[in-house]
Amino acid sequence: MITFKLNGQTVQGEKGQYILQVAEKFGVDIPTMCHHKALDPAGMCRLCTVEVFDGRRTRYVTSCNYPIWEGMEVKTDTEIVREGRKLIVEMMLARCPESTAVQAIAKSYGIEKPRFQTGDDTCILCGLCTRMCERIGANAITLTQRGLDMRVDTPFSINTEACIACGACAFVCPTGHITYDKVKEKVTLHPGQPIPSEYDMGLKGRKPVYVPYAQAVPNTPAIDRTKCVHFKTGGCKVCVEFCGVDAIDHSMQDETVEVNVGSIILAPGFEPFDPSKFDTYNYAKHPNVITAMEMERLLSASGPTGGHLVRMSDHKEPKKVAWFQCVGSRDMNRCDNSYCSSVCCMYAIKEAVIAKEHAGAGLDCAVFFMDIRTHGKDFERFYNSAKDKHGVRFIRSRVHSITPVGDSGDLEVRYVTENGSLVVETFDMIVLSIGLQISPAVAEMAKNMGIELTEGRFCKTDSFNPVATSKPGVFVCGAFQGAKDIPQSVVDSSAAATAAGEILASARNTLTKVREAVPETDVTNARPRIGVFVCRCGINIAGVVDVPSVAEYAKTLPYVEFATDNLYSCSQDTQETISQIVKQKNLNRVVVAACTPKTHEPLFQETLINAGLNKYLFEMANIRNHDSWVHRNNPELATKKAKDLVRMAVSKAALIQPLKEAELDINPTALVIGGGLSGMAAARSLARQGYDTHIVEKSDRLGGQAHNLFRTAKGEDVQKKLAEMTADIEKDPKIHVHLKAALTKVDGFVGSFKSTLSSDGAEQILEHGVAVIATGGSAHTPQEYAYGSDPRVVTSLELDRKIIAGDPALKALNSAVFIQCVGSREPQRPYCSRVCCTHSVDNAIHLKEMNPDMNVFVLYRDMRTYGERELLYKKARTLGVIFIRYTLEQKPVVKVAGGKLLVTTTDPIIGRPVEIETDLITLATAVIPNRDEKLANFFKVPLNEDGFFVERHAKLGPSEFATDGVFLCGLAHYPKPIDEAIAQGQAAASRAVTLLARKKIYTSGTVAEIDPRMCSQCGVCVSVCPYSAPSWTEKGMFAGRAQVNPVLCKGCGLCVASCRSGAIHLKGFDNDQVFAQIFSLSEAV
Amino acid sequence: MSDWEPKIAAFLCNWCSYGAADLAGVSRMEYPPNIRVIRIPCTGRMDPKFFLAALREGADGVWVSG
Repeated sequence: MITFKLNGQTVQGEKGQYILQVAEKFGVDIPTMCHHKALDPAGMCRLCTVEVFDGRRTRYVTSCNYPIWEGMEVKTDTEIVREGRKLIVEMMLARCPESTAVQAIAKSYGIEKPRFQTGDDTCILCGLCTRMCERIGANAITLTQRGLDMRVDTPFSINTEACIACGACAFVCPTGHITYDKVKEKVTLHPGQPIPSEYDMGLKGRKPVYVPYAQAVPNTPAIDRTKCVHFKTGGCKVCVEFCGVDAIDHSMQDETVEVNVGSIILAPGFEPFDPSKFDTYNYAKHPNVITAMEMERLLSASGPTGGHLVRMSDHKEPKKVAWFQCVGSRDMNRCDNSYCSSVCCMYAIKEAVIAKEHAGAGLDCAVFFMDIRTHGKDFERFYNSAKDKHGVRFIRSRVHSITPVGDSGDLEVRYVTENGSLVVETFDMIVLSIGLQISPAVAEMAKNMGIELTEGRFCKTDSFNPVATSKPGVFVCGAFQGAKDIPQSVVDSSAAATAAGEILASARNTLTKVREAVPETDVTNARPRIGVFVCRCGINIAGVVDVPSVAEYAKTLPYVEFATDNLYSCSQDTQETISQIVKQKNLNRVVVAACTPKTHEPLFQETLINAGLNKYLFEMANIRNHDSWVHRNNPELATKKAKDLVRMAVSKAALIQPLKEAELDINPTALVIGGGLSGMAAARSLARQGYDTHIVEKSDRLGGQAHNLFRTAKGEDVQKKLAEMTADIEKDPKIHVHLKAALTKVDGFVGSFKSTLSSDGAEQILEHGVAVIATGGSAHTPQEYAYGSDPRVVTSLELDRKIIAGDPALKALNSAVFIQCVGSREPQRPYCSRVCCTHSVDNAIHLKEMNPDMNVFVLYRDMRTYGERELLYKKARTLGVIFIRYTLEQKPVVKVAGGKLLVTTTDPIIGRPVEIETDLITLATAVIPNRDEKLANFFKVPLNEDGFFVERHAKLGPSEFATDGVFLCGLAHYPKPIDEAIAQGQAAASRAVTLLARKKIYTSGTVAEIDPRMCSQCGVCVSVCPYSAPSWTEKGMFAGRAQVNPVLCKGCGLCVASCRSGAIHLKGFDNDQVFAQIFSLSEAV
Repeated sequence: MSDWEPKIAAFLCNWCSYGAADLAGVSRMEYPPNIRVIRIPCTGRMDPKFFLAALREGADGVWVSG
């Protein structure tokens, strides 16, 4: 160690260090223009000149390359030093009067105009670029010539192969003299392309060292070996110099790790269709023709334009945007994807609505489509509101080509409207709603694994085992199973997890390790002794905030016994240090001022547990994400803010109390309400994983609506499969079926429900830990189209029953008509029943196959054969089934005249009514839920206005309720075909098992607690709680007053804020604690 | 008044806005350092007394986001 004096302060540095390095460590600011941490110092700009006194005489040296020695005295800010620097800056400005960087530094020295003759250069000859080029390992540029002619150049001023166009010179150039365009023009022979960001769909560049996207898990940077300069030249490694924890190792190699597993789940996803080969759409050539994925990024707040909608050619705000549907889907002509991608209609509508929200209602949005397929839950409502409320135009037309209008960037399209007229319209940008497809790599993987694929290259599955591949033990979920949206993918993923869990149930908990528990110190009534740890986070915080001064400040705060700063508070060794300090200093509260509690609170709580403190005796001040990262140009105020945040955290910490997490046993029994296919699937899955399961079914047999169905879209015989499944259920000793039974009462909560079952007048009490609601749905009974008055008019399910029964009359029919959307997509029932299009198309095929001479008509509004069901639609047309579209305003008319059954409908192509004489009319009736308000009340779960149950989260929690321990599947959630109903049954079981497998539940410590003495019994808490946690105490001295069940409480504090008596306390966020933070604002604000 | 800076007390919901403020940092966005964030478990926790207390303590504005 070398000891010397820096501005009067005694400091220490390592042998070989330069003055500048030591000064930086001690927070002494010395200006430089030519210094870079990763490069050897050169002393080129002379701006870092300081005064060195050796005991006899004073010298002026450049601090960046002057090594320290014992006993020296350095002064960095004397009058002479300042004057010298000013002169240097003045000369720089004279040389480069136009450089804004030099102007800025000159201004800081009070120089407006130099006294010397001015030149016209922009380079200050600092040599950063040439030294960087050398470090990169390219050695392409150097300082050429001498004296006045000295400049940065390539040898002989010719473009060179040696330059790899990495752009490092432009990056380090302090004056903007070197730009990447200049490198491409004058230096390199390489093309020089920015690296397109995969996440931003190439609309933005990224670095070779990068975090793929802001929410990536793990959120650590990766080095792109194909782009990193080090892997090309062997040089660079600049990143190593900047990493404070030595985490970068360029010598790491890919490893092949073998793992022994009992099951495999495939979730490789899809690849977006590449529309480049559609030359008439000009996607590859014109920047204003973009894909919907690119549009997603443009509309995203984290996207390349921050969510500001502009077109790519000239960054102009568009006035008119069009979406083209079915690009790369439902197309055998120009690509090989004859299936429907299921999600594009909905995402296009969503994008159009968001685009209008971002750009204002004046934006014209037009969607060109063939059929609008909004068959998901609440999607039809969204479509209607896009049309009626937001004014999105929907044009039923398939446009052939996009023609650029000169150089304007505008795009012209010609299309034929529904009434046959030709329209020419110009748009500012056009979005191609590209389809989903399976990548060749995934198809190859499937081939290698011996997994069968479908015609559309998706993974082949059985409707009754929707997540099982053709290979036992290998399961599939997501878009590889079929093009699908987020909720369906989430359902599938849970189902795949449970399918794997079924075969692995015996191995559950066999590889667990138990951690040794540290006894908890009792801090009751102890005076607070707070320890404050301020994190530097490398330079992430310390680069902006003056961390040592924050730590010093923390020492002055009440109850703070200890404060320090750490380089990385989250590192393993610091964690141990904190734990030791807590013990040594006898601390009983810990405050960490660092990144954010959202990511690191659990880690520090773990540290407290290891130090023998209750984990709730912890508070965090967010001085990185909320401070240093967002105020990097304002270090002074950022430091002040950090002190304020630490003070607020300390004042709260002084009041925090140790909290208990109550432990409760979970009854390992499940109750499934509803014995249809989806309920059966849930029960089977639960039983196979070892849990006793009760099925409560109101009718006298299992199977529900499946008894009415002939075959699935994939052609499986429903009755045969149902019989097999029923047999499975009946022989399973863990499944207890209660037929002709209903629930009459439900008590309890997650882990310990007590339900009263009434069956044939006899009552029985079932105790269970979880409940699955699978109450199903039924067919709507139509009041139109002569249904009920003429036996030749039947519903889809009635036709299926005729087919199952082998009715010979069917084969003899001359003509059959299917009418779609009977009771669906109408004002009184504004949802799509999802299954009816496929059902009718499949039955039309069946009739046609029985009797090819039969005239079969399908009258429809939008054909919604989503996914590979589209292939059935294609097959039906090939077989000669005639599809005629009708509108809600002009519905078909059925009449019986002289014994003849007549259907009249307007043909949209000829625009005139046509009359069909038919022998059979099949009405594709809506699926309606068994609206069960009593059950909804029993389990305190909500119903929507259509009578379907409302799941926890429309996208991410489709098979569970917000109420803990209650799960959802089947038609009770939304109309769905057999494969999806079974998958959701499995998904509900999967979600239930995540609870059951834990055996015990621990309540959170931060829950609400009612002081019954203060309760005025007003009932507000009971009514406002979304989780049904408060209830009335039934017995004891506080009977009639409210109490909170900590198991159900999510700690939101709604009841606390609503309590008019001040009887409710939210542990961890109690009034005194929040007020303490507010009161310590006063110094802050 | 030209150099007057408002002082704002911000009550952010742990699950959305507090996380969003974190993300603003992760994305290296910049905003004026005039706010002091108090993390609350949900905006349902907001008590009218919190607003009043913050204003009484000298805040020029109270921002509740959730």
